[in-house]
Amino acid sequence: MLAFLGSAGVAVALVGASLLVVRSTRVARGIGGADLGGPVKLVVAGAVVAMAAMQIALTLDDFSIAYLANNHAMSTPFPFDVATAWAALEGSILLWGMILAGYTWMVFTAYRKAPDRLGAAALAVMGAVAVFFFGLMITVANPFEVCVTAAERGCLASSPFPWAFADAPVDGRGPNPLLQNHIFMAIHPPLLYLGYVGLTAPFAYAIGALAISVPGPEWLRRSQRSTLLAWSFLSLGIVIGGWWAYEVLSWGGYWAWDPVENASFMPWLVATAFLHSALVQQRRGMLQAWNFVLVISAFALTILGTFITRSGTIASVHSFTQSAIGPTLLGFLVLVLVGSFTLLAQRGHLVASAPRIESLVSREGTFLANNLLLTVFAFVVLIGTMFPIILEAITGTRVGVRGPFFNRLSVPLSFLLLLLVGIGPVTPWAGADPGLIWKRIRGPLVAGLAAGVLVAMTVTRNGWVVLAVVLGIFVVGSIGGILFEQAERRRSKTGAGLLASAGKVVKGDARFWSGQLSHVGVVLVALGISFAANLSQHQEVVMAEGDRVTFAGHTITYQAPFQQDVPGKTSTGVRLEVIRPDGSQVTLEPRHNFFPGQPNGVATPAVDTRASGDLYVMLITLEGGVATLELDTSPLMWVLWLGGLTVAAGGFLSYRNRRQERTLVPRETVGV
Amino acid sequence: MSERARNLVYIALIVALAATVAVLIAGNPTEEDRVARLGGSIMCPVCQGEAIADSPSDMARDMMDLIEERVAQGATDRQIIDELTAAYGQNILLDPPVSGPTLVLWLAPAGALLAGVGVIAWWRRHPGAPEGSPSAPSSRTRTAVGALILIGSLAAVLVAVTSYLQERDDTTSGLADVQVDDLDEVSNETLEAVIAANQEHPQISGMRLALADRYREEGDYRAAFPHYFAVVESETSAAPEKVAALAGLAWITWDGNGELDTALGLLDRALEIQPGSVPVRFLEGRILHCAGRSDQSERVLEDLLAEPTLPSDWEDAVTSELAAVEAREACA
Repeated sequence: MLAFLGSAGVAVALVGASLLVVRSTRVARGIGGADLGGPVKLVVAGAVVAMAAMQIALTLDDFSIAYLANNHAMSTPFPFDVATAWAALEGSILLWGMILAGYTWMVFTAYRKAPDRLGAAALAVMGAVAVFFFGLMITVANPFEVCVTAAERGCLASSPFPWAFADAPVDGRGPNPLLQNHIFMAIHPPLLYLGYVGLTAPFAYAIGALAISVPGPEWLRRSQRSTLLAWSFLSLGIVIGGWWAYEVLSWGGYWAWDPVENASFMPWLVATAFLHSALVQQRRGMLQAWNFVLVISAFALTILGTFITRSGTIASVHSFTQSAIGPTLLGFLVLVLVGSFTLLAQRGHLVASAPRIESLVSREGTFLANNLLLTVFAFVVLIGTMFPIILEAITGTRVGVRGPFFNRLSVPLSFLLLLLVGIGPVTPWAGADPGLIWKRIRGPLVAGLAAGVLVAMTVTRNGWVVLAVVLGIFVVGSIGGILFEQAERRRSKTGAGLLASAGKVVKGDARFWSGQLSHVGVVLVALGISFAANLSQHQEVVMAEGDRVTFAGHTITYQAPFQQDVPGKTSTGVRLEVIRPDGSQVTLEPRHNFFPGQPNGVATPAVDTRASGDLYVMLITLEGGVATLELDTSPLMWVLWLGGLTVAAGGFLSYRNRRQERTLVPRETVGV
Repeated sequence: MSERARNLVYIALIVALAATVAVLIAGNPTEEDRVARLGGSIMCPVCQGEAIADSPSDMARDMMDLIEERVAQGATDRQIIDELTAAYGQNILLDPPVSGPTLVLWLAPAGALLAGVGVIAWWRRHPGAPEGSPSAPSSRTRTAVGALILIGSLAAVLVAVTSYLQERDDTTSGLADVQVDDLDEVSNETLEAVIAANQEHPQISGMRLALADRYREEGDYRAAFPHYFAVVESETSAAPEKVAALAGLAWITWDGNGELDTALGLLDRALEIQPGSVPVRFLEGRILHCAGRSDQSERVLEDLLAEPTLPSDWEDAVTSELAAVEAREACA
């Protein structure tokens, strides 16, 4: 019954998407003023019905649906039963489809307010992408297949026909235990997908503009706005993902240059480059062709990311053939790349922007450098991720490209970028006077270096940490410097107080200042990463009940082992009494969580977060009451999380401000 | 203060502070700094891609102690690295080698950066011409140029790949004249020499594995270790060779060092490469049996026995091992 409902939802969405392509193409070509609301509503309604069917099935434990038999169990507690809907391949495509429907609706509401050919063309592209993803759901990644041969737990064979005679198992296998361990795992994938899928909208505007041969400021404005929203979600998703890895996966890290992480980081880097170079086109009319390339690449990288993470290609090239979704995604990727770039080449004469850059010492010059570094960075991540796969596919040779390769190249790139973050905002547009730049950065440079000397003398002489502090203070100083400069100017004009003037300045150019908020977030992330990477301490200890160890100023006493049964999981662990360096006390309980139907436990660390840093305790083994523990200290970890959240917050604020601006400023007319 | 004087003060301050920072961070590294830096560049042989400085495992700890000792004795970084690579093989260096196929990996980003700088320089001179001007190439020309570039780069990749493959074939004929079938008649020393002379050879892993197995059977775990390790870490090992080497490593870390968790971790890695491998799972059951974890051992062996496709010779081995576990006999 629910399989019927879900499949029907998918089918309706597919029909809606196909209709949308046909009708909006007609509107975009100017041969008809057909209604586009109908098809869009079909897409949204179909996607919502399909997701609702999945959620109801999860609530009712309907194991006649193969996806549930293999990924859900009766004992899966709330909210993890909700999150099970996207815990495996087919479900994640369903979530993708629903979010894509949401963004299609967003593009449609903008179109409804002010219908034009560009909006219609963008809707046609959204529709085409939706046809692909809903098409996946009725072919190679069907979330509503009916289980026809049940195992004791799970499903052995399934049928795509919802009317097939169902053989439902009594209980399902349950989701991957790692995914049941922390609330972050329930919210991290939707956030990431809001970012990933959101990059479809800027792509749709870009391709739409090329298709109707109307480049210029309008496609850019809409692409930039929608990129901002997607980018903010992507930033948030990446940070929450790192945080989850740190809190749940017992290895004390937050980022491992894992292919799945890289898949989310590459579009982020390219979208970041676009957000900057779009400003150059807006202000100076340059780089239009490059902006098309960036928007197309960001979208292509999300498809590549899905291919990498969802086809099983990364685990081994040999599992490639097991699922048809890999080749399908790869085919779609090739289609997107070839189609988009051919279109771009054909419209080359329209896209090429005339203005010449006067001087590299200018805001646009710093943005060029920023774009170069960000795209090279993305390329490093891309080649590091894909090289082992390509090499193995071609020669059968296996090479491991590990963290050190990425670190070796990303660390200098990141420091150069950080330096640019300090110089860019103080550099005027269109040929700056070097004397003015020098005047604006000399103070922050002194402040940064002084902070560096202070840190080197009192905290650590580690070069990376000191460099991060120097550059971090320099960036914050130069951002603060321009705020001060502008506030002073305003105060001398109006006579208001300095703080009030600063507030007015920020309100007056909210877009610029929300960007600077993100820059401050980047500084915090850089500081957090360099502290964690260079100043943490590790020790492995073996303790029997009653033993006491001291580690990095903490006195840790092993009180007793414990076992806990809560619905949905069983935990075994040890209770530790910790006396912190300042004399206060805390009880930590690192543990292994066991989930029904899953033979292996999940090690869950215990973290004591303090302003000065975290004490991170992992239970490695527990045998006959003797515990092997790994103890870590990570100084100032919260700076990293705060920084990541600040980056995302800057993005959301900028998006909001752009929205307000939009309602104030009359829309530029587009050649319809 | 005049603007000029103010500038001079700033410059003086910046130079003085920058120099202080430079001296502080570069100034004579302490022994601790050196140990940490060296430890960060060496991979822990029994963990997955983790530096020995970051790994809490016993083996990594031992290697760190060795580095500390050698630093205290005044050895240079080069000497210490050479000693460690001589004992454990080149593969313990954390960076992918700047040679062979991974050379591309290091050159490509540099190439991309140079290309980017080149494009910007070109664009500075030739900004896009406005539409209709005589210098603007038609869209058809642009499409053609784009297609040509695409075809050109594809061809370049093809040529590079084929030439690389040919190189691989050439080296096969250069392998020392020891054939695998008469391996039994070759002494350990000869094998060592052959392996040492052909370290880069793509098919050397098989020979290493044979030698390592021989050392293991002779009980010389110390000699077996670097060879197993090299097979595991080699780019050219086949998957079954890696699985066998991981199994060998697991056994000697358990039997030689008593490191149960490390051994089980190595077996997990083997199972990742070859899921469900019968010999690996059998070994897991056996090691658990020897470690006195009878319950776990029973579970592993029973699972194995329940496998419908278990070959009959394995069935006998598993059954007898399981009987020994159930009788709580010590492991043989």
